[in-house]
Amino acid sequence: MTATLTPQTGGSHAGGSHRRATPPAAHQLSAPARALRWLRRNVVTLFGILALAYMTLPNLVVLLFSFNDPNGKFNYTWNGFTLDAWKDPFGVAGIKDSLITSLEIAFLSTLFATVLGTAVAFALGRYRFRGRGLTNTLLFVPMSMPEVVMGASLGTLFLNMRISFGFWTILIAHVMFCLSFVVVAVKARVLGMDPKLEEAAQDLYASPTQTFLRVTLPIAAPGIGAGALLAFSLSFDDFVITNFNSGDTVTFPMFVWGAAQRGTPPQINVIGSAMFFIAIAVVIVGQVRTNRRKQKAS
Amino acid sequence: MSEQQRAGASGDVNLVGLSKSFGSNTVVQPTDLTIPAGSFFAVLGASGCGKTTTLRMIAGLEEPTTGQVLIGGQDVTGLPPYKRPVNTVFQNYALFPHLSVAENVAFGLRRKGRKDVDGPVKEMLELVELGHLGGRKPAQLSGGQQQRVAVARALINHPQVLLLDEPLGALDLKLRRQMQLELKRIQTEVGITFVHVTHDQEEAMTMADTIAVMNGGVVEQLGSPADLYESPRTKFVANFLGQSNLLDTRITGTSGGYLLMDVHGTRMALPVDRTAAQGDQVVMGIRPEKIAIQHASAADSNGNRNRIDGGVIVDSSFIGVSTQYTVRMPWAQEITVFEQNMERDHRLVPGAPVVLHWNPDHGFGLAPEPATASAAVKA
Repeated sequence: MTATLTPQTGGSHAGGSHRRATPPAAHQLSAPARALRWLRRNVVTLFGILALAYMTLPNLVVLLFSFNDPNGKFNYTWNGFTLDAWKDPFGVAGIKDSLITSLEIAFLSTLFATVLGTAVAFALGRYRFRGRGLTNTLLFVPMSMPEVVMGASLGTLFLNMRISFGFWTILIAHVMFCLSFVVVAVKARVLGMDPKLEEAAQDLYASPTQTFLRVTLPIAAPGIGAGALLAFSLSFDDFVITNFNSGDTVTFPMFVWGAAQRGTPPQINVIGSAMFFIAIAVVIVGQVRTNRRKQKAS
Repeated sequence: MSEQQRAGASGDVNLVGLSKSFGSNTVVQPTDLTIPAGSFFAVLGASGCGKTTTLRMIAGLEEPTTGQVLIGGQDVTGLPPYKRPVNTVFQNYALFPHLSVAENVAFGLRRKGRKDVDGPVKEMLELVELGHLGGRKPAQLSGGQQQRVAVARALINHPQVLLLDEPLGALDLKLRRQMQLELKRIQTEVGITFVHVTHDQEEAMTMADTIAVMNGGVVEQLGSPADLYESPRTKFVANFLGQSNLLDTRITGTSGGYLLMDVHGTRMALPVDRTAAQGDQVVMGIRPEKIAIQHASAADSNGNRNRIDGGVIVDSSFIGVSTQYTVRMPWAQEITVFEQNMERDHRLVPGAPVVLHWNPDHGFGLAPEPATASAAVKA
């Protein structure tokens, strides 16, 4: 071992001074070559930042123009800074009612779609029954069908059934298109759940009800929560389907649309920005809580 | 009698004509079995032999097709799992991922309405040497630690019977050995009846007081590990627990408690009371380590020992404590021999002519055909 190493060491000594001349050359790269190298190392970060900017820029514009003091009815050109709209966010006739209507519909349709969707997800994930495959396929119809088609055909259906348009027809429509998303989110969780866990709970003296409340539901909760959040945001900002089924009920997206015909008050931007910040706050709180739980556990 | 009754009240498990069919497929044939209170009882068999189904019927997770399950003398056949005085350690543990280790262990006590769970939980975690990890989630534990949590979660409820469904299957070999001893220690400490289902014969032999060997939905043989190993009654048991050489024989007579037989032209003997078969055709079994091997030139007359001449070594592998030889008999059958490495004869290499001999009392007799159900079930 030593016998083979010695000549090698000698050899590197011999050529050492000659070879040592090359590494410093790497530091003396030409300026464009160094820029290229920097780019190569940071290209992923760079694209990441660009993509983030692309996604958030429209929101920032909305936020910026919520501080605008528009000259005239339309809030499309920057005229001057003011806090007027933020001080009086409901200072436009109808905006408050439309927001309340939207929130009511979003809460109710989230509630119904989540309860119903969770039940459907458990049925599809747990049991074998006739029509299961068909149900699985049909679930994707509301997700894949163009909203215009769905809105129009639902409107036709309501008309033919002589149901008058309004709050309830909007709610029915929203529950319908939210349902599929909830089912998909919860089903993934149900399928990933070890059925042995429920057996273990029963083995440990939990009745079927207790098993569901203490084991099944908590484990499915992240899926249910994700489904509910999705349902809420889908319902809150739906315009197309609502437009076909609303009668003279005005939701917030419909108010914005209507306002755009007559003039856009900055209050729309205020409420839009507020929703944006609430959503971000929810996400951040969720993240912080998960991180803290992880830290506490380890 | 009174002592037996008392034991019966605490943790005897009685299976009475218990069977399970899924459609036309009968997984467990009608089985009668008594598992004595306080024993470490292993149900051993290959996968699909019905051992897990039997366990699940005791737990109440599977409804029997026929028969009854009695625990401590009480018929529990109609009771749901959450009303039975048994707890299960599941394969892959089935720990609740959303609960901490301590809450997993406390689960059973809480369901029974106990509020002061901290003390018992701490005590139980100490017993399985996990006292410091109560705050963690199951996913943050190693496989061996999860296994202990599963045991603690079941034992804290002081069940009359603890059911273990391949509890060590997911662990690596070294850890499995360690946990075998650990489980045995815990069982001795708490004195609860353990029913342990496994496909690992070594595991069953190390841990259990009594083993039931299952095959094709039938308990083929029941006995202590030494019983099963030294006196298997069926070919399946002879080969599932360790290795056996099986020789076809023809009975020629009896003499002084021994069956005399002809094995491909060689006279041999086998104790009558070690023969689980009747008729003039018996298969003689002999364990590889009970056979002595000698080079043909060195062989002396071996007295009353069963002896086969004319063997040739076809393969030998050095294992360390022993050497394993494969010897071809004149009638082309290959016989396995384990020889302790005490004085190694360097002539014993592949190709060498050898003589095999063994004490007739070490042989065992089996029925020639694959055991039928009626011959096998004596459980």
